[in-house]
Amino acid sequence: MNANIYPAAFVLMFCFMMPAPDVVAQTAAKPGSGPEHTAEQHRRGPKKIALTDSKGAVARLWKPDLTTLPLTVEHGNITLPRTGVDNYHAVVVEKDRVDLKEVLIRYEYMHGKPSGHSTSELTAAEKTPFEIVPDPVPREHQHYRSDQRWRFFLRFKGTPAAGIPVTLETSHGTRVNAVSDSEGEFSLHIPDDFPDLKEGERDKRTAEFSISAETKDNGILYRTMLSAEYRVNPSHWQSSGLGVAVTGFGMLAGVLLGSIGLTETKRKAR
Amino acid sequence: MNPMKNLSVIRKLVQITAFIFFVYGGTLTGYYLADKVTGALPALSCAYDMQGSDLCTLIPFQHQMDHRLGEAIAGGGNLMMGLMPTLITLGTFLILFVFLNKAFCGWICPLGTFQELLHNLGQKLGLRRRESLDQGLVHRMRPVKWLILLLLVFGFPLMTGIGWVNHDLGDPFCRICPSRILTTLATGDSSQLYLDNANTTTLVLSLIADFMFGLMIALSLTIRQPFCRTCPMLALHAVFRKLGLLRLVKNATPRCDRCGLCAKACPMDISEIHTEMQRRDVTFEDCTLCGRCVEFCPYKDVLQLKYAMIPVFSADPAYFKPRKRAQRNWEQNSLLSILKSGHATLKPKQS
Repeated sequence: MNANIYPAAFVLMFCFMMPAPDVVAQTAAKPGSGPEHTAEQHRRGPKKIALTDSKGAVARLWKPDLTTLPLTVEHGNITLPRTGVDNYHAVVVEKDRVDLKEVLIRYEYMHGKPSGHSTSELTAAEKTPFEIVPDPVPREHQHYRSDQRWRFFLRFKGTPAAGIPVTLETSHGTRVNAVSDSEGEFSLHIPDDFPDLKEGERDKRTAEFSISAETKDNGILYRTMLSAEYRVNPSHWQSSGLGVAVTGFGMLAGVLLGSIGLTETKRKAR
Repeated sequence: MNPMKNLSVIRKLVQITAFIFFVYGGTLTGYYLADKVTGALPALSCAYDMQGSDLCTLIPFQHQMDHRLGEAIAGGGNLMMGLMPTLITLGTFLILFVFLNKAFCGWICPLGTFQELLHNLGQKLGLRRRESLDQGLVHRMRPVKWLILLLLVFGFPLMTGIGWVNHDLGDPFCRICPSRILTTLATGDSSQLYLDNANTTTLVLSLIADFMFGLMIALSLTIRQPFCRTCPMLALHAVFRKLGLLRLVKNATPRCDRCGLCAKACPMDISEIHTEMQRRDVTFEDCTLCGRCVEFCPYKDVLQLKYAMIPVFSADPAYFKPRKRAQRNWEQNSLLSILKSGHATLKPKQS
């Protein structure tokens, strides 16, 4: 297996995902030049994906029940249709040439009726021969955030892919490298690289990261990429130390209240 | 007394098992929300606990008020569609609730178990505990749980969805709930113990949360179930308590006037168990169906826990006497008493 990494050379790349009205105004996001946008609460509009080079790309949407829908790529954009089903869906975009197979995967939460299926079924399903699998995908109401470490694993034709270098690259241009272990697992620290952060002020910006890897098998080069959104770590405006201190004050107040109560009880008893 | 015939011991075993299952059971059931047992548990098992096996029904209620009903009202949408998720959650809650009624508080709730264990610790440390709170205080505190249910679980989230208040009030009860801090800390995750400077709302809510968490810990050592008395889940249970199959039933006798042991045993200080002479169903709004009043009632069949009208545990003098002895022994064996007795033996005898 060949393990050279050229993530910047990937032809296929997600820009970002947004409700349809907003995406028109955005430009293609390449590492280092990615636009930032504010994390809106519960974006429910149709989502769009922009590809930097969509020629020959075939896209499918995996629903939580593991059925798939073909997606149309129009002028480099993919609009995700409403499925009416709640939970994570996987967007899989593939480009297949004789000696090069490229794939890009993205897990997107869509709203609707309860699916009755766990996201673990979606991640366990083999969606493409060479795949970066989040382990786990952030749970509902959880997000990838800067300054956090997350686990992933690499799967090649259904088996763990060991010893493969992987690279995480953010839309702010930061790169982090790792190598998959014997079980195909690796963990990556999402960099705290949002510019112009002000300590103590909430920051709702979001950015993109992509994790990429490649391997060679029987003369065919396989390239895979997982992309996702990440947000600013709330530790910039939340203080654990002060939280502990306030809890301490609460305990002190409890002790005082308890002792006052005891004094009253004793007085009454007398 | 054989511990396996002691209802309090049996209850404690059930509570600890439930605590482990609901706080850490996600490793068995699965990580994602779709893997949770019901998603509408009538007990404070927190969704912020990433290892939990289920989550309390107050979370979806707040969420649905904010993002479904509130948005439907604000957007002039179909109100029935906005209300439907809440009705589904309520239906799930009721299916579970019918089986155990308010015993979800006394037997299942992880936060209730934590407070009881702390109280036991206080006993064992020899801290001077208050057997019962002042009845005036108990009565003054009773409306608090209703206010929290109406305002923090339904009111503010709905107003957030309509757009009348800021989004940080979309889930105000979760933001002050001690179970969020406790259950996450129990899994080694300290991310929920914080002071949030984002804005005044988050600052106030996080101040209340942290302060109340500390207060609850300290008070639990000397007072029984301090947070439970203000818990909105208790109020929600109270609304539907007539539907539950498990009930506390009283067959009052004139001797009840003189005794009062049941009220003294009650961890929620419900004096009405003792004074009520007319009603048979004495599952009062604050009752957690823990069964302690039945254990400490000395008169045969005066108090009973009935499941679908079938008595499952009844007051009995044959149970009461050894149970009272066991309680006395339990309370006497504290660290303080051991230290005192050790100190006494070490003292040189004076001739």
